[in-house]
Amino acid sequence: MTVHATSGPAVAGEGGYLLADITAAIGRVVRSVTEVGAAMTALAAAARAGRHPLRRADLATLRPLVAQVLARHRGFAAGAGVVLAPDALADAPRCIDWWWADRGSGPGHLEVDLDPASAEFYDYTTTEWYREPARTGQPCVAGPYVDYICTREYTFTVSVPMVDDGRFVGVAGADILAGEVERMLLPRLSLLGRAGRPAVLVSGNGRVIASSTARILPGTVLRSPGSSTAAADGLPWMLVGGPEQAA
Amino acid sequence: MPPPALTTVRARTLFTPLDAGGRADTVTRRLANAIRLGLLLDGERLPAESRLAGQLGVSTVTLREALATLRTMGLVETRRGRGGGSFVRAPDDADRLERPLRVLSLHELRDIGDHRAAIAGTAARLAADRALVSDVTTLREHAERLRGATALTDRRRADARLHIEIAATAQSPRLTRAEMDLWSEIGDLVWLPMEGRDVTPAARDHDLLIGAIEARAPERAREIAERHVAAETDRLLELRLSLHRR
Repeated sequence: MTVHATSGPAVAGEGGYLLADITAAIGRVVRSVTEVGAAMTALAAAARAGRHPLRRADLATLRPLVAQVLARHRGFAAGAGVVLAPDALADAPRCIDWWWADRGSGPGHLEVDLDPASAEFYDYTTTEWYREPARTGQPCVAGPYVDYICTREYTFTVSVPMVDDGRFVGVAGADILAGEVERMLLPRLSLLGRAGRPAVLVSGNGRVIASSTARILPGTVLRSPGSSTAAADGLPWMLVGGPEQAA
Repeated sequence: MPPPALTTVRARTLFTPLDAGGRADTVTRRLANAIRLGLLLDGERLPAESRLAGQLGVSTVTLREALATLRTMGLVETRRGRGGGSFVRAPDDADRLERPLRVLSLHELRDIGDHRAAIAGTAARLAADRALVSDVTTLREHAERLRGATALTDRRRADARLHIEIAATAQSPRLTRAEMDLWSEIGDLVWLPMEGRDVTPAARDHDLLIGAIEARAPERAREIAERHVAAETDRLLELRLSLHRR
């Protein structure tokens, strides 16, 4: 991923660095999960070529790769794995093979209820991180959102589509805690904010990711942004000079 | 994927491991009681044998023996194949569903209502302040799902999801977790007084609430959510009191 930020007056220079840093960090996670997705797609292709059904047990070969993703992005990626399209597997109508990062006792496997008849049924096909790559065929950075299934925290999910022979078979992805993204951004944002105007990083839909002022909090929506913005290339995020501060 | 472990409070109390050496008839009695008391609902799928055995602290052989007895008693039905497993067959008993309510005092029910109102009210207020257009669309989808649900379990699930989504729309993991904990604790109770009743008023509340969130009217959203919870609490209190009048 590359960045060409068209910086306005309040976000010149330093703003470009900030966007480049965060885009690169998230781009690295996208590249890692793309490797997992490619391995899954290869499994699907092999099954198709050998005319044998793809089964849940086949996913076991992906686990070392997923563990590698979590190890490589330790402290940044909180979880990773693959989520299969309905009926992509012969022996499971729906499947999530998702692991959360080592919390001292090795990576943990996410257990969710995928039985549509059950009271706790989790329909992942309606989530942004599943729906978007399925629709666009492109990687997606969903969030920030309250992930009440896996991390139970304020989270971004990066996901890449897995396509075998023109058929969408699911997504590979990783969770990144919003707190970690903020930690990375805050020093530079504070620097930018010193110009007398707050500096705010927002997602494509205006949700505040991080901000240099307590007046504009993460999670809120910036409904009337200031004039100067800089867009990140490859990420649907924008750096915004917030509204003029009332003296 | 195997059916998951039961996660609710009733499951935690029900499936605390038996003493070592627990025998099949102990397991049988325990499960039969749970079904008769309504802790396990009609049609509910039991966790996979290995997992249930683990939760009860017995071997799968012992568990299978107990399940066989429960089958002959007509309390459990086992279906094979995809979507199969062991399912609860509750005896036809009008009071069955109401029994969990008997263990709660009016004081406890009132307190649960207060807690729910605090969480749901604040979640609604913040959601109205922080919702995006796409969030409102998601909420509408969940409200629609609830409208289409007919079975009690489906309604309970759709209702819980809607309220959890509202808390998630508030962008607060803590409020969302609080809402989840509350629903797993009292979700079955909330829909208890609604058996066989008209659900239009509840649906109207939800529409008004989502409307207020969409209109970015935080105080109105909070008010509607609190009133909605208060009405549900009142119905539960009424039902609890009526148990003594019979």
